[in-house]
Amino acid sequence: MSRHKLVKSLDLDDELEDYDGGDDYGDEDGESYGTENLRLGTIKVRELLPQGSGHINDKQIQEALWHYYYDVDKSVAYLRKEYMAKPKKEQKKATGGSRSSFQPHMHERRVGPFSFSDFFKDMPWLNVPKDRQAVFIAPLYPRGGLLGGSSDDAPKMSKLQALAAARKKKAQEQKLNGASGMERPMAELSLSDRANCSADKIESPMATSTMKQSSRGFPLRKRKNSDPHEIPAKPVSRMEQMSNSDDNANTALLSLELDQAEPSAFASTMFNSKDRSSPRPSPDDVVIAAQSKGVLKTTGEKKTDQITANVEALKVDDTRRATSKNLDVLKEFEKVAKKNEANFVVIGHVDAGKSTLMGRLLYDLKVVDQRTIDRYRRDAEKMGKSSFALAWVLDQGTEERSRGVTIDIAVNKFSTDKTNFTILDAPGHQDFIPNMIAGASQADFAVLVIDASTGAFESGLRGQTKEHALLVRSMGVSRIIIAVNKLETVSWSQERFDEISQQVSAFLSSAGFQPKNIAFIPCSGLHGDNIVRRSTEPALTSWYSGSTLVEELDKSEPVTRALDKPLRITIGDIFRGGVQNPLSVSGRIESGSLQVGDALLTQPATQKCFIKALEVDSEPADWAVAGQNVTLHLSDIDPIHLKIGDLLCSPSSPIINIKEFKAKVLAFEFLTPMQIDVHRGRLHTTGKIREISSLLDKVTGATAGKKRPRIVKPGQLARVIVELETAAPLEPPGRVVLRSNGATVAAGLLE
Amino acid sequence: MTDRRRINGPSGGTSAPVYSKYLTKGPSDVDRPTRTRAPNVLRKMFLKTGVTPSASGSAYLELEASKNPKATSPGLATLSTSGLKLTCTVHGPRPLPKSAPFSPHIILTTHVKYAPFATRRRRGFVRDASERDLGVHLETALRGVIIGDRWPKSGVDVIITILEGEEDQWWGDDRGQGSTSAGEWGIMSVLSGCITVASAAIADAGIDCVDVVSGGVAAIVRESGNEEKPSSINLVLDPVPSEHQEILAACIVGYLPARDEITDLWAKGDIGNENQESASQNYAYEDLADNAVQAALGSYRVLVGALKEAADMKMR
Repeated sequence: MSRHKLVKSLDLDDELEDYDGGDDYGDEDGESYGTENLRLGTIKVRELLPQGSGHINDKQIQEALWHYYYDVDKSVAYLRKEYMAKPKKEQKKATGGSRSSFQPHMHERRVGPFSFSDFFKDMPWLNVPKDRQAVFIAPLYPRGGLLGGSSDDAPKMSKLQALAAARKKKAQEQKLNGASGMERPMAELSLSDRANCSADKIESPMATSTMKQSSRGFPLRKRKNSDPHEIPAKPVSRMEQMSNSDDNANTALLSLELDQAEPSAFASTMFNSKDRSSPRPSPDDVVIAAQSKGVLKTTGEKKTDQITANVEALKVDDTRRATSKNLDVLKEFEKVAKKNEANFVVIGHVDAGKSTLMGRLLYDLKVVDQRTIDRYRRDAEKMGKSSFALAWVLDQGTEERSRGVTIDIAVNKFSTDKTNFTILDAPGHQDFIPNMIAGASQADFAVLVIDASTGAFESGLRGQTKEHALLVRSMGVSRIIIAVNKLETVSWSQERFDEISQQVSAFLSSAGFQPKNIAFIPCSGLHGDNIVRRSTEPALTSWYSGSTLVEELDKSEPVTRALDKPLRITIGDIFRGGVQNPLSVSGRIESGSLQVGDALLTQPATQKCFIKALEVDSEPADWAVAGQNVTLHLSDIDPIHLKIGDLLCSPSSPIINIKEFKAKVLAFEFLTPMQIDVHRGRLHTTGKIREISSLLDKVTGATAGKKRPRIVKPGQLARVIVELETAAPLEPPGRVVLRSNGATVAAGLLE
Repeated sequence: MTDRRRINGPSGGTSAPVYSKYLTKGPSDVDRPTRTRAPNVLRKMFLKTGVTPSASGSAYLELEASKNPKATSPGLATLSTSGLKLTCTVHGPRPLPKSAPFSPHIILTTHVKYAPFATRRRRGFVRDASERDLGVHLETALRGVIIGDRWPKSGVDVIITILEGEEDQWWGDDRGQGSTSAGEWGIMSVLSGCITVASAAIADAGIDCVDVVSGGVAAIVRESGNEEKPSSINLVLDPVPSEHQEILAACIVGYLPARDEITDLWAKGDIGNENQESASQNYAYEDLADNAVQAALGSYRVLVGALKEAADMKMR
């Protein structure tokens, strides 16, 4: 209903004529609600009223309370002012008097949630007397925010609203009963008024006196008393009336009971469905709730599992890593009837022909095809080094080729009927001993290449031949094959071969190789005699009928693998294994086994990572065991935590970073408490010999000589304590090489 | 402009065919809907604000379909008349895009679109001329109502989707002749509804207005005569085009009752006084406008009632 409209369009002068000045707010509803409040309020007011207020009756008090919305203080103030001073006047007011036509509007106003004009009613401006001053409660401001997008959840009704609702309801009941018939003409006031105005206007062109009308075109409204009850009652007669009378503008009479229509089926479906569906959670909510529950549950289970397995794995979130197939790697390994695997390192003095010998081996075994060798030959001839062509099979680097020396260990593979071999071609030059140590640390046995040409053998023995032999022995290599190379340069002389054999075997025996583990083979790398094919040189065949190099290699017994020991891998290389595998490492599994999905711990960085995938001999595999050269594709780790020489181990039995260790070492040079480099495979770090504990007997290993010697002479066995500058992952029985100033000073075993 | 982006349905009528052999009455004497309301009675209106939670303000307006009390023949009930269903969303006031030039007052954008299924004649997905026309009229009606100075550099978008529109004529009159004599009478009722619903949505959005504007339509219709009743020309409020054989003229106003101002007025048609023999039936365009104002007042009351209801919900 358009109360705004009614109020705005009221002709105030008209209204005020009818207005009898009474400010009675209809109390006809008073009994129906709030009687309890009234009763309580009355008692309170009675208490607060001063003496001599006996003449004020309950009704008056209730009236006052009603006025002030049960505000006791205000009511008291009001009653005191009104009744104590001039009790007569109020009597009249209390009777209510005749109801004015204005009353419904005022009444309607009070229905509203809050009215400031009521709040400040009969409050004088300024100089408020003491007894009228009241405590102000913060006014009821509307809720903040824009009105838009409201949900139509029924708000909780305030007391005031409840009151208003009750009034409204009552008023409607009265309307239905026709009791308040007086109100309706008022409600229709503006409309009928409007209609009459229109009538005025329609008449005006006929009357030709339009100039008197307001410029707006709509004249000032005069209240004409049309009986509104007639309008809905007989519309037809009206129609007839307008069709034949000049009062035709009465067409505009509206339906006076025009109201909100009920929503259609469409609308009620659209807007009321909310209430129906709200108690039930939506399917999405159900799913989300279930998912969150499921996540909680699974993580909980995982935790308990992993606590029993290992505590470290607790921190793991397993979102991206490959799932482990939980293979029993050792059983899998037993099932596979694999050929023997053997790694050997090729050592020897620089220019002994190690690379050429291995190139010949690979070429003759058809690992490298003719075309490649032809190309190498051509290229080598261009550089004036035609004899290096075979060496280029292993020496791939440009610097290696241009200088004609091997710098880093080169890895290649070949297989015989019995065994798969991995060649580790070590550099012979003394500047690259650390690389040679790295290669030797991965080897099961060694091939020592000796240059048999005149003078070369002698210089070699003084040079790296001895050092290499000592190193591989101290790295744990017990079997050694000596290839006496370049024997064609001395025209396959047996004396030369025997001389070399005697000298070398004597030295090797002193170095700790057992005679049965030493084999000598006369051969020529450049021509390929006695390498794969048996030599046809009559000068050689006359005195040598033993095995070729490959036959000798095949005789090597399968090494026992440390499968049951905890996992240890020294990282030999770090590279980007493609888009899918941003971080890959390669190396030889020294002990233990692993499979896809395993967690690994990197030392010395102590970072955890996972095996996303792994390759054994460039073939994808699910597992790998000790002795194999593997490429691991890692996940969940940043490459900055890895460097070549780092160690990978299993988190359950990790290798510990230590800063000090005790070792039993064989001295090659004089050892004093001094600065040294400690090499363990690829890993090397600086440190110093802090203390030489004791000298040991070479044969028995028992303590010999005086305690705490100041110096260890070459060839002596000693127990030393080494302090490292930075902690390194070392553990017994690890083999370490101590070097100083570019020379190997000692090698030994951790204790 | 053809719409190449979508696979559109046929542009013609989409109602299921009604076979004449199933009609209990002959196809020729299918009951045409007639106006059962008094000429001065508006259709009942359902108006609800706050229907779109994501918009700043929104409203839904529905005019009840006029029922044909005699429509008992099968299949034809749905064809008789339609109600009007409009939904309006108001987005804003929100900042103008950076590319827009400075504006000291709010920029009002109106957008009126028929849903493709809104009328018997299928509407395209791209706004056609009549829809753009509606948008311009709506903007005219609303522009003066919003107190635009309070939001410099901002814009408000009023988007109305007509879910069910008013037919331009009774479907029975549209049988193949391709008669275009009817003109677009339905657009008048639609515009009136658009003004009212947009006003409600703007109020729901909490945008300051001088008053709520409401729309109203009045029309002069010619009722064809028969034996007992000669043909007559009547002035009716809130005309439903399908209920009248011929609409001579119609007028729609956007009216501000509190200020007694008209923000938009659009009259069309020819009353044709010159060939009327009875002077008493002379209707002037002023009558038309005045009665449209009366209709606007009727919808104003519903509008205010709905807004009050919504406000009561929010004020605690």
